Amino acid sequence: MLDAYPARFSLTPYRFIPHTADIAVELVAPDEAGLRAAGIDALRELLVGSSAVRALEERPIESGGRDAGERLVRFLAGALYLYDAERFVPARAGPAGVLGEPFDPTRHTAAREVKAVTYHDAAVHRDDQGGGLRATLVLDV
Amino acid sequence: MSGAGAIPRVERVDRYRWRVPRHGGMRTDGLIFADEGLMRDLEGDQAVRQVANVAHLPGIVGPSIAMPDIHWGYGFPIGGVAAFDEEEGVVSPGGVGYDINCGVRLLATSLGIGDVRPRLKELVDALYATIPSGVGASRSDLRLQRRELNQVLREGARWAVAQGYGREADLDAIEGNGTLPGADPDCVSERAKERGKNQLGTVGSGNHFVEVGYVAERFDEPAAERLGLGAGIVTVFIHSGSRGLGYQVCDDYLDTMLAAAEKYGIVLPDPQLCCAPIGSPEGRRYWGAMNAAANYAFANRQIMAHYARRALVRVFGEAGERTHLVYDVCHNIAKHETHDVGGEARRLCVHRKGATRAFPPGHPEITPRFRDLGQPVLIPGDMGRYSYVLLGTEGAFRETFGSSCHGAGRRLSRHKAKELARHRNVPKELEAQGILVRAATRATVDEEIPEAYKDVARVVDVVHAAGIGRKVAQIRPVGVIKG
Repeated sequence: MLDAYPARFSLTPYRFIPHTADIAVELVAPDEAGLRAAGIDALRELLVGSSAVRALEERPIESGGRDAGERLVRFLAGALYLYDAERFVPARAGPAGVLGEPFDPTRHTAAREVKAVTYHDAAVHRDDQGGGLRATLVLDV
Repeated sequence: MSGAGAIPRVERVDRYRWRVPRHGGMRTDGLIFADEGLMRDLEGDQAVRQVANVAHLPGIVGPSIAMPDIHWGYGFPIGGVAAFDEEEGVVSPGGVGYDINCGVRLLATSLGIGDVRPRLKELVDALYATIPSGVGASRSDLRLQRRELNQVLREGARWAVAQGYGREADLDAIEGNGTLPGADPDCVSERAKERGKNQLGTVGSGNHFVEVGYVAERFDEPAAERLGLGAGIVTVFIHSGSRGLGYQVCDDYLDTMLAAAEKYGIVLPDPQLCCAPIGSPEGRRYWGAMNAAANYAFANRQIMAHYARRALVRVFGEAGERTHLVYDVCHNIAKHETHDVGGEARRLCVHRKGATRAFPPGHPEITPRFRDLGQPVLIPGDMGRYSYVLLGTEGAFRETFGSSCHGAGRRLSRHKAKELARHRNVPKELEAQGILVRAATRATVDEEIPEAYKDVARVVDVVHAAGIGRKVAQIRPVGVIKG
């Protein structure tokens, strides 16, 4: 066991913003690693709500891409695949992938089906106010 | 990559048509079907910008079209139709969507609403128990070996019927007879097969549903009779698609197409519109995978229809057995079709994302059973009001590459809908209106409240008045199963 990471204590900055049919989320972080961490926190909230998720093991994710936006989408799409196909619930982003644990229906609530993390307007911008990075993603639900 | 840009100017053409004039990198105009009220609903919505974005793609023929149920999607707008020249045009996974061949199927029973009302709870509970729904739903009674899954991908609904899920006659009432040509399981990744292997025969969640209703109004009685939609007859709608397998196919090929767009020098206004020339190796492989996923979706709806029949038999005995398939349509698909363009027959690749094929009477691609009527078009509304059955028209064939709308179209975000529902008991409200709801979670019901959608009657009225579909019957819900 690497450590325990109850979802509800997450302080990583993300916020859901209005989208007519799907879910849009804005992420703000100092760097790309921070965006990945914020993205995993947002994804976890969508998938299992406030269920506590332990970071018991790390699963690798290949997340290449031509720019920061593509890398972020591919990373989160990789985490979504692990959840959907292997029932591996994400707790937090790790150095080479995602840390989490197998879905346990006694402790985890399957809150929502997320079909995909889309590339729609998936750009990473330098944040004018804080000097870090800001990204907006649309998730198909 | 672009951020959210300015919403383009729109010009009124007539009462039901609005043009997005060609500007910047657009290769053609946009054309939106809507009345004034529906256009007002679109104010500030990114969907109009998405209509303009689609018009940037190479080889587009005719305008970038949007149906009256248009709303903000990703890449293409939901309700978008675009046709591309087979030689010079592109195929785009973003023009089909993640839920490849998401679609609707309508069953008509021999039971009247008066027969069903007293036992409605039993029926809705039987459907809820028989057809798995909700997040991560799977069937324990249907586990496919890889060889069988590949057969599903090749044969679609035909595979399901051969296994005993339904009847041979069902195939006649499915767009493309339930098996799209060109499917190649080898073009579907192992990840996609893994993601979809246990989900066949399940409805999923979100806006997917199984709905019991009855024929409340008939606008064209002879056509309704031909479709088996007698006055007061009880129906079952099934709305679902290719589940995790389709989502993963789209995801895989978006990565391929991002690289392909760069390779072929295609400038994209939105990365989600990434694409490749239709005849390129990337385009051909996507075609094989997309059709395979579409066949999975046909098999999925075929199996659910089989279990819906079983539920009807369980409750109503032999009377439940006399349930026939009215039709099954795709909402998210690309197809090679021949259309008249400036007096010349041209082969085109028509993308419909949140739109329904609506071919006119006499079209050779319509099954002989309905050829004199035109293609049936199934338009589900929200769970509190009504749905419609339409038929395809010459007008649609002339103006929209034989396409019509696909639903009501959302008008409120899921967050806003939940806010509105927060202090209400939506299932109780619907029950007071005679509609029983079963759902895995309260959140799904709250997000899908009727107010979250446009009034589908307005959408369908625009379609009818503009001549891109004609109304046959209205169906009102009495029981809804939400994922």
